[in-house]
Amino acid sequence: MPGWYFDKQELKHTPSGAAGLDYKTEMRYRKEGARFIIDTGMKMDLGYNTTATGVVYYHRFYMFHSFQQFPRFVTACCCLFLAGKVEETPKKCKDIIKIAKALLADNKFATFGSDPKEEVMTLERVLLQTIKFDLQVEHPYLYLLRYAKCLKGDKAKLQKMVQMAWTFVNDSLCTTLSLQWQPEIIAVALMYLAGKLSKFEVVDWVGRNPAHLRWWDMFVEDVTMDLLEDICHQVLDLYSQPEVKSSSESPPPGASRPAAASPSNQSTSRQSNGATTSTTASSASTASSTSEKTQISPETVPPPVNTRIPPPSDVPYPYQTFTHAPPPISYGTPVSFAPPVNTPPPLLGPSPIPSLLSAPPPNAFPPFVNQPPPFTPVVPPPNASFFGNGLPQGHTRHRPPFFPP
Amino acid sequence: MQNNHHSGHPNSTAMNMREKEKYIENFNFPFCEEASKYQKVAKIGQGTFGEVFKARDINNPKKYVAMKKVLMDNEKEGFPITALREIRILQLLKHDNVVNLIEICRTKASAANRYRSTFYLVFDFCEHDLAGLLSNVNVKFSLGEIKKVLQQLLNGLFYIHYNKILHRDMKAANVLITKLGVLKLADFGLARAFSTNKNGMPNRFTNRVVTLWYRPPELLLGERNYGPPVDLWGAGCIMAEMWTRSPIMQGNSEQQQLTLISQLCGSINPQSWPGVEHLELYKKMELPQEQKRKVKERLKPYMKDPYAIDLLDKLLVLDPSKRADADTALNHDFFWTDPMPCELGKMLANHSQSMFEFLAPARRATQINRHHAIPRPTTSAVQDSGYQDRVF
Ligand SMILES: Nc1ncnc2c1ncn2[C@@H]1O[C@H](COP(=O)(O)OP(=O)(O)OP(=O)(O)O)[C@@H](O)[C@H]1O
Ligand SMILES: [Mg+2]
Repeated sequence: MPGWYFDKQELKHTPSGAAGLDYKTEMRYRKEGARFIIDTGMKMDLGYNTTATGVVYYHRFYMFHSFQQFPRFVTACCCLFLAGKVEETPKKCKDIIKIAKALLADNKFATFGSDPKEEVMTLERVLLQTIKFDLQVEHPYLYLLRYAKCLKGDKAKLQKMVQMAWTFVNDSLCTTLSLQWQPEIIAVALMYLAGKLSKFEVVDWVGRNPAHLRWWDMFVEDVTMDLLEDICHQVLDLYSQPEVKSSSESPPPGASRPAAASPSNQSTSRQSNGATTSTTASSASTASSTSEKTQISPETVPPPVNTRIPPPSDVPYPYQTFTHAPPPISYGTPVSFAPPVNTPPPLLGPSPIPSLLSAPPPNAFPPFVNQPPPFTPVVPPPNASFFGNGLPQGHTRHRPPFFPP
Repeated sequence: MQNNHHSGHPNSTAMNMREKEKYIENFNFPFCEEASKYQKVAKIGQGTFGEVFKARDINNPKKYVAMKKVLMDNEKEGFPITALREIRILQLLKHDNVVNLIEICRTKASAANRYRSTFYLVFDFCEHDLAGLLSNVNVKFSLGEIKKVLQQLLNGLFYIHYNKILHRDMKAANVLITKLGVLKLADFGLARAFSTNKNGMPNRFTNRVVTLWYRPPELLLGERNYGPPVDLWGAGCIMAEMWTRSPIMQGNSEQQQLTLISQLCGSINPQSWPGVEHLELYKKMELPQEQKRKVKERLKPYMKDPYAIDLLDKLLVLDPSKRADADTALNHDFFWTDPMPCELGKMLANHSQSMFEFLAPARRATQINRHHAIPRPTTSAVQDSGYQDRVF
C-alpha cells in the first residue's frame, strides 16, 4: 500500500533529480504545471475540486517519472482531463488541448507532438497506473469550511480569515504540500496563517474542552507549531519567488530573473511576524503585476493577475485566489459577507463524493444479523404452502438496533 | 532537455515518441501489477463493457478471481468515465454484501498493443449469480433461504445508499452469491454518487439507466431527480423473481414496460402518485387508466407467504416517495418471523457447478410462458434491448 506522502528528503530525490534536473527547477516545473492546470481549469469553468484533484495527480505523477521524460504541460493537460472525469465534470480532451494551445507559447505547445490528443490519451494510461488508480483525492477546502463553522468570534473577521485561508489553499497547490501533509493539516496551517495575517485570534470555539489548547486540537493531533510554521512558509515562499507569470513565459532553467522579494525580506518573514510577512507579500504582488505588463506578447493570452477559481454555488464565502500574491489585507474597509458564518455552510461540495466522508468507516458497519438464526434450511416440495399465519402488524419490534446508540 | 526542441521538427518528435514507447514498455509500475499474475480459467460473463473471466492466482492457486476487462476500443475520451466511476465507487464500498475489488491489473504495453495497456478490474470470485441460480430448476430455495438472499440484498442496498451511492442497475445477473451463500451486489458500472440536495438544486441525472425490465416508473417517465427508491424497485422485481424464477415484467419498449407496470401496480395518475403529472414524459406516454392494483393477487400463486406478499407490495409502489426504503424493508416482519432467514451454504453445497446467467442463456423465456399469471414476454431479443437501452 503506497502512501502518497513523502518527507522532504524524498522530495529532493525524485526521478527528475536522478536524471539531472536541479531541485529548484523541478520545483518551478511543479509550480508552472500546477498554475497551468489552475488556469486551464478556470478557463473551462471547472470547479476548485476538479482543478485541485488534477494538480494532486500531477504532483504524484512526478514522484515516479521525470520531467525530462514527460513534458510537463502534456502531463498537466492529462491530469486535468482525468480529474474532470473523476470529479464528474468531464471535458473533452480536444477542448482542453485547445485551451492549452491558446495559453502556451508555441515552443511549449510543441511538446504535445504532432497528434496532441493521442499524446494525452497515451499518457492517461501511464498516469492511471502510476497513481495506482487512487482516483479519490481529498482537498483542504472541505476541512477549511468544516473547521470554520466551529470558530467563534467577530463574524466579519472570521469571514475574512476564511476567505484568505481559501486563497492560501488555492496557492498551496503550487507547492508540494499535498505530497507532504494530509488535507486536514494543511487546512489548519493555512487557517492559522490567515488568522495571523488578518489579526483574527481564535479564543473560543464550539466543542471546546479543557484538553484543547488550540482550536485545532479538536481536529488534528500532534501538530506542532514548528510544523504549522513550516507549512505556512512553504506557501509564503511562493510569493517571494521570481515571478512565473504564465506557464508559457517561464524562463529557461537557470536563467534568473530579478526576484520580486529580496532574500532578506524573505528571511524576515520567516520570523512569522504577520505584519512583516504581509509587507513582503504586497511588494511581491506589486512587482509581479508590473512585470506582467511588460511581458505580454501578442501571441500569448495574458493570464489574469488574480486567478479566480469559481466557487460552487453552495460555498457561502466569497473568495479570490491570488496565485502570485497573498490577498490584500485592508482593515479599514469593512467587507460585508452575506451569510453569517454560523449558518452551516453546506460542506458537501459540488463533487458528489465528499458526502461519503461523513459516513462511518465501512468496517464499523455492523451486519444486520450477527448470529445466524437457529433454523436449518427446509427444502419445500413444489407448490408447498409456505409457513405464515396472519398479516404482518406493520411495525418493527424485532430488529436489533442498527447503530450503537 | 527534450522538451526544448522546436515545433516543425517531426523527426525529433518521432524520436521522442519511440523513446517514450520504450520507456512505457519497460517501466515497472509499482502499483499496478500485470494481469499475467492471473491465469484465465473460463469466460463467465459478457457485458456491455467487456468480458468477465474466471482466473486463478498463479502464486496462490487456491485463490480464484473474476477479471472484468475495461473495454476501451471505441473510446474517444480515453479511459471510460463509467469505468472510473465503477472503480472509485468500488474502492470506497467495503462491505460483506458488496463485491470486493482486489486491484486493477494491466497488460504490458508493447508494440503489439500499440503501447496501450488493457486494464482489468480484479474481484474476489463469487461462484454464482442470482440469474444463473434462478434459471436452474434444480436449485430450490426454502423460504428461509429466500429471506436470507433478500435480507443480504437489502443490507447491501442499505449500506450503499447510506454511503450516498445509487446502484442503478439492479437485476438478478448483477447479484452474486458465493458458494458459502454470501450475497454480493456487483456491477457498479452504472452506479453514481448522489447528494441530497440541500441547496434546492434538483439533480439532473440521466434516466436512461437500469435494465428495462427492472426500471422503475419514475425513470420511465423521465424523472432526473431520482434517488435510492430506483434501486428498491429493482429489489422488488428481484424479490418476486425469487418465486417466479423469471423477471416479472419483461417489456420490450419503455412504453410497454409502463403498460406492464400499470397492469400490475395499478394506473399511474395523480391520485395514485401525486406529482406524477409534472414528470417530463407523463403526457407523452400512454398510461392505461382504470387499472386495479393486482400485486398481491397476481403474485399470490407464487408467493404463499403473506409477509412476503406484503413486503413486495411495499416495494413495488409506483410513487417513489412512498416506496419502502432499505431500512424499512429490513424491518419488515418478513425477516423477523418464522422461518427466520437461514444460511444458503448447505443448499449450495449440493451444486458444484458455477451458475451464471451467461452460461445459462436459454433461461427465462421457456419458463415464464408456463405462468399464465405473468404477462407473456415478447421473446425476440428482449434481453438485448435491455442492454442497448443504456446510455451514458
Ligand atoms: N466477482 C465476480 N465473481 C463471479 N462472477 C462475476 C463477478 N463479477 C462479475 N461476474 C459475472 O460477470 C457478469 C458480468 O459482470 P458485470 O455485471 O460486472 O459486467 P457488465 O459488463 O457491467 O455487465 P452489464 O452488461 O450487466 O453491465 C456478471 O453477471 C457475473 O455473472
Ligand atoms: Mg452486469
